[in-house]
Amino acid sequence: MSDVVVNVNGLAKTFQVKQKAAGLRGSVRSLWRQNTREVTAVSDISFALQKGEMLAFIGPNGAGKSTTIKMLTGILYPSAGQASVLGFTPWKDRRKLGYHIGSVFGQKPQLWYHLPPEDTFRLFARIYELDMAEFQKRRDFLVESFQIADLLQTPVRKLSLGQRMKCEIAASLLHRPRIIFLDEPTIGLDVVAKQQIREAIRYLNEQEQTTIFLTSHDAGDIESLCKRVVIINHGRLIYDNSTSALKRQYLRRKIIDVRFAEPLTEPFALPCVETLKQGTHGLKLEFDGRDVPVETVVQQVMATKPTQDITIADPPLEEIIREIYKK
Amino acid sequence: MMKRIQAELSFLRALIGVNLASAMEYRASFISQIVGMFINNGIYFVFWIIFFNQFGTVRGYNMDEIFLLFAIVTLGYGLGFMFAGNTRQYMAYLVAQGRLDYYLVFPRNLLLHVIFSKMIVSTVGDVAFGLIAYSFTGRFTLVEMGLFLLTAVFAAIIFVGYSVITGSLAFYMGNAQYASQQVTNAMLTFSLYPNSLFSGASRMMLYTVIPAAFVGAVPVDIVRYHDGRLLLLLAGTAVLIWLLALALFYYGLRRYESGSAINVNV
Repeated sequence: MSDVVVNVNGLAKTFQVKQKAAGLRGSVRSLWRQNTREVTAVSDISFALQKGEMLAFIGPNGAGKSTTIKMLTGILYPSAGQASVLGFTPWKDRRKLGYHIGSVFGQKPQLWYHLPPEDTFRLFARIYELDMAEFQKRRDFLVESFQIADLLQTPVRKLSLGQRMKCEIAASLLHRPRIIFLDEPTIGLDVVAKQQIREAIRYLNEQEQTTIFLTSHDAGDIESLCKRVVIINHGRLIYDNSTSALKRQYLRRKIIDVRFAEPLTEPFALPCVETLKQGTHGLKLEFDGRDVPVETVVQQVMATKPTQDITIADPPLEEIIREIYKK
Repeated sequence: MMKRIQAELSFLRALIGVNLASAMEYRASFISQIVGMFINNGIYFVFWIIFFNQFGTVRGYNMDEIFLLFAIVTLGYGLGFMFAGNTRQYMAYLVAQGRLDYYLVFPRNLLLHVIFSKMIVSTVGDVAFGLIAYSFTGRFTLVEMGLFLLTAVFAAIIFVGYSVITGSLAFYMGNAQYASQQVTNAMLTFSLYPNSLFSGASRMMLYTVIPAAFVGAVPVDIVRYHDGRLLLLLAGTAVLIWLLALALFYYGLRRYESGSAINVNV
């Protein structure tokens, strides 16, 4: 039987935004005549999320991702539509829902800045009314999972961004939330910190079936964590399918990188194949698999000169997402 | 119901503890703020000492009443904002900048969580000043001391409630930080003057729009005359102010628009 955790139906949010002509004259005029414009942040979106699913909810800046998360966590009232999270209507049952969800906003820390993470952990135990013995066990488990034992007594202001973010996510999991909303959790982190955080999230999902609702501009987060992608742009849902389907659908272009044993004497040319780069021993080509088969290109390349090395690659996911955003 | 209240109190205790620990992270700043406020109050007070030495009595107030007025106002102000410091311009700022998100995701009473999330350290100096000022009033019967403490607590409740009202204006006005700060400062300033100095419209204002009389003059009269009816009036006013505060805050919350600013919780 399916276990729906999030069910969104026709959800929409509009804001009234003040409009003013540029400069002092515009400011003076707006003192007695204020013009406002209705801006649609989210428009009629619908989707559902099952227990234990890891969903990437992505889109360019201003697409409506954060507004959607804010409606699903009870921060904002929607202008229209319905949403249910764990059976609660977020903006009506904000407090009840709060016991069962976790949230990490990459740019809005929850840890107290001047205090060590341990102090915030203890405050969270009171906020979520946790039994202290149970809290201690849970805390130890998360400290182990996120490898943060040596960070707990250091004031947050002294932690690196990666260390802080690991503590942020651990704090948001103290009350065993059934779903966690991660809004750009790896923003600004180095590759090692990103990898550690991804591994910890994946581990939590496997161990506890925690549903993950992730927004990120990092294609690495999406590829390594999420089996499903929902793309939102201009407030509208434009894609909802598996990450692999996204790749299949958009990965028609291929990139071939060749290293020759002998120097190239003439420019390489093949119809429907774009030469991205040509050096004395190297060649980089890009083409659409529908126009010319991969085998044909490889055969032509190998016929040119003896080859030392050849790689055939898909364009990075980031590029695919960029293509979708442009539409 | 009892369990709910216990959970809320346990949370508030923990929140105040974290606030205090955060404030004490910087020892020099912590101590200088307290001492600074104590001196600040003292300077204001010296003005009245010089004044009464010159004129003796001002419309029913002599130096003893001024001691009592200062004691109640500073203790009430200190008790209120020592723990419930995220009011006034701070609350207006949180609302206008869309920074209530942090509080909204937690399963706690929103208003309590917001206002108790900031401690104004300098108010410890106000509390100390209030208690010392009272020791100069010469009113040491149990009834007088009891009434003094009770009215100071009511003053604290009114100060904080009124600050929630002024802070909540940001839901309706947008950037209401300056207005909120000015109005609350006006309440504090007017409360430190003998009430009898005012008459007509200005006196009416101190009982309504800027209810300074209820944190200064009315408590002083309750302690001076042991007036039970005035005490009831004070309690009723506190309830009314809080009802208005709750209505303005929670109705305004529906207009809250969040924001994209980067937050830091200190």
